Amino acid sequence: MNICGILVHAHPEGFGAVRERLLAISGVEVHGVSEEGRAVVTLEEDDEDRMAESMMAIQTLEGVLSASLIYHHREDDNEAI
Amino acid sequence: MKQTRRDFIKTNAIAATAAIAGVTIPGVKEALAAEEKDEYMDVRWDKAACRYCGTGCSVLMGVKDGKVVASQGDPDAPVNRGLNCIKGYFLPKILYGKDRLTKPLLRKTDGKFDKNGKFEEVSWDEAFNVMAEKWKAAIAKSMEENKGKPVDKLTSRVGMFGSGQWTIWEGYAASKFMKAGLRSNNLDPNARHCMASAVVAFMRGFGIDEPMGCYDDLEHADVFVLWGANMAEMHPILWSRLTDTRLTKAGSEVHVLSTYEHRCFELSDNSMVFKPQSDLAIANFIANYIIQNKAYNQDFVANKVNFKRAVTNIGYGLRPKHPLEVAAANNGYSANDPADPEKNKGDPNKMDPMTFEEYAAAVAEYTVEKASEMSGVPQDQLLRLAKVYADPSKKVSSFWTMGMNQHTRGVWQNGNVYNIHLLMGKISEPGNSPFSLTGQPSACGTAREVGTFAHRLPADHVVMNKDHRAYAEKIWKLPEGTINGKVGFHAVLMHRMMKDGKLNCYWQQCNNNMQAAANTNQESFPGWRNPDVFVTVSDPYPTVSTIAADLVLPTAMWIEKEGAYGNAERRTQFWRQQVKAPGESRSDMWQVMEFAKRFKTEEVWPEEQLAKMPEYKGKTLYEVLYENGQVNKFPKQQVTDDRGNNYGNDEMDHFGYYVQKGLFEEYRMFNTAEGMPKKGHEMAEFDTYHKVRGLRWPVIDGKETLWRFREGYDPHVKVSDTVAKGAVNFYGQKDGKANIIFGPYEPPAEAPDAEFDLWLCTGRVLEHWHSGSMTRRVPELHRAMPDAVVYMNPKDAKKRNLRDGSEVKVISRRGEIITRVDTRGRNRPPEGLVFVPWFDESRLINKVTLDQTDPLSKETDYKKCAVKVVKA
Repeated sequence: MNICGILVHAHPEGFGAVRERLLAISGVEVHGVSEEGRAVVTLEEDDEDRMAESMMAIQTLEGVLSASLIYHHREDDNEAI
Repeated sequence: MKQTRRDFIKTNAIAATAAIAGVTIPGVKEALAAEEKDEYMDVRWDKAACRYCGTGCSVLMGVKDGKVVASQGDPDAPVNRGLNCIKGYFLPKILYGKDRLTKPLLRKTDGKFDKNGKFEEVSWDEAFNVMAEKWKAAIAKSMEENKGKPVDKLTSRVGMFGSGQWTIWEGYAASKFMKAGLRSNNLDPNARHCMASAVVAFMRGFGIDEPMGCYDDLEHADVFVLWGANMAEMHPILWSRLTDTRLTKAGSEVHVLSTYEHRCFELSDNSMVFKPQSDLAIANFIANYIIQNKAYNQDFVANKVNFKRAVTNIGYGLRPKHPLEVAAANNGYSANDPADPEKNKGDPNKMDPMTFEEYAAAVAEYTVEKASEMSGVPQDQLLRLAKVYADPSKKVSSFWTMGMNQHTRGVWQNGNVYNIHLLMGKISEPGNSPFSLTGQPSACGTAREVGTFAHRLPADHVVMNKDHRAYAEKIWKLPEGTINGKVGFHAVLMHRMMKDGKLNCYWQQCNNNMQAAANTNQESFPGWRNPDVFVTVSDPYPTVSTIAADLVLPTAMWIEKEGAYGNAERRTQFWRQQVKAPGESRSDMWQVMEFAKRFKTEEVWPEEQLAKMPEYKGKTLYEVLYENGQVNKFPKQQVTDDRGNNYGNDEMDHFGYYVQKGLFEEYRMFNTAEGMPKKGHEMAEFDTYHKVRGLRWPVIDGKETLWRFREGYDPHVKVSDTVAKGAVNFYGQKDGKANIIFGPYEPPAEAPDAEFDLWLCTGRVLEHWHSGSMTRRVPELHRAMPDAVVYMNPKDAKKRNLRDGSEVKVISRRGEIITRVDTRGRNRPPEGLVFVPWFDESRLINKVTLDQTDPLSKETDYKKCAVKVVKA
């Protein structure tokens, strides 16, 4: 299990398009967005390498002004899920 | 309904992110309340200052069974408020690269040291024995050469190259060893390459180093101007705070100046790509605009500033026989001996007083037409920029990093931006802030504040000043006249002196200068491999530097030792040792102090010096410098936190006393003691910093200072005859006035011509930090940006029959590299300029760059030289 909480900043007026682009990345969910363009995003990806690539993808996505990691949890999958 | 563990953790992730974002997500609170938060029960969490950039984020490190297993942004940290950038996310992994060095390595043939031998594992004892033999031979030669010379004419053949990534006490221990022990001022940090220009500008303008403002300006400002800083990639957390202000505050604007388009342009309201070096003209134009429109703050200009004119035609810090230096009237070089700062040529540091009217006349030639023509930036955009500075109702914060510091006129340009702020009085108050950012975690805390430069002593004291030397000798309990009064070799000069055989022993700690220094082929490499030079490199990992060294010492890094950093907003932050270093690796501080045990005073000080304090005869430098009743004052103890956790301290175990505390408390005598020559750097006691998320100096009566020089914010400024309530007093200068220093446009050292027809600019990228010796160990970061490419304008590519991905050579007059073209990347240069990041050790762009410096700061200009790009 490998889960990140990420704060994404985008221009609020263009957020619809940014949301679409974010959702195109595997494992991404958008849980909410403030009026000012602060979006609560989670990224769930068990493969660590792909997780890193997805994080990079979010960071460099068109319309994303900044992306910051808030929370990260990783544990082996043999634990009870 | 019972959640699965995965659901629960995800809910935690959402809740934490939503809290920082200020967004309410329905149902999250209830879901969390239903479960016990137990998953970290067996993990010990503790704060640490991030290892990477100068922002100084606090991160929480989770340790389990002696190993770091997790990290998160520190929600209690005022700097990053729970955020982490992507490099922070990978922090735990930098400790655990597979190729960590764990034993000293010495080049040997047939069991003996041989400069051309192969690396073999040796014991610490053998490593230090061989090293000490080389150092003692070089020191003996220096002592012979120094016979009969006055103290301000002493030279030394040994030197050390330190780091803005050193912890505060590591830098302090090294400075004391070199300057007090070995009487060598050949100590310089890699910070020379990154913010020396900022330092010199602070000293010239304000008489005291480091920014007057702080990161709180990111929320207070209305307008942000970036003058050569790619904050989005280099300081992502500060950028996210800036972004937040831009998106939430009505009327806020972002102006970005750069020589190529980068990620900050996505937020920018006024994007300006200017021709290299023309930033000098742009800044002077703004000053001219403010004066022409009578927008300046008349009271401030009349009472708080002096006007000065910088001496011009100062050269480019190249070797003295370079035609540009021969032609330079005021480069400060001696006609006979370049290493000797007897200044036969005019002094580049000189400033002549001028009146406001003379200053106005000097900037008058920088009209909007001229600035636009020189820079290529349209007039309306320049006017828009000038107007926000000239509008007294707008709070403006200016930020800059390497674009302005790595500049052959970097000191002038730093000054030109201060000039704008000073003309308007927009300084030293919330939101109005000229702010020089730093690239390294302790460029401020260690390199600048401890003073590990060739001319510095702790807390802004300098070796050239007799009173400062005497004060240092008193604190350090040295015989009078011990400290060398002659400025040592700076970073670039060190490599030249090694090549010329005048610097024979060189010890590099905590950085990678073989990769970082400019003009590798002609200066760095021949210097390091000179048979008359012995090079020691201390590093946790193999690097380009370790490959070029004679002796490699395995080094404990970051949270493998108790540490302290000082960030760009004057914040001093401590951390405890979290884990043990692997194998036989030892901290830089341990290495310096152990090495000091190899030297007897009579081997390094002449008889007449020792005769002043005969009690030091027969003693080792270790005893004189560190067992002096001050450094060894605090007995061994168990390190704990207020939650009852215990921590190790390997240096305390080894030396038998609390070394870090002793060094810090002695250092504090330079910045906090009664009767010190320079006030304004006061710090709190050692134990305080372990309890707080850092404090911004000056710290007076336990309180930090957010904005310096202004009454009401800075306790050093009190209401008086000359200072009204809420007014400023620039107390670093004797008369309390800052200097507005006119620095004109002067051309760059090397510009494109018919053959070398492109500008080359070098720099960093988000995923890699500096030379990549840490970040390239993290597979995920390496995969995201594996090799340095050359970013090029599609039109330039087309002209050369190149496509995206084409293999090319980037060639200058000094060297070449092979790489691939990128025309669609996130860095988008204009026609005529290419950008190459410097993290890639397989494509050393510094073979191509020119070892030009600002003649005042001696900082290299990595942003401008001429190259051609051809198909490989």
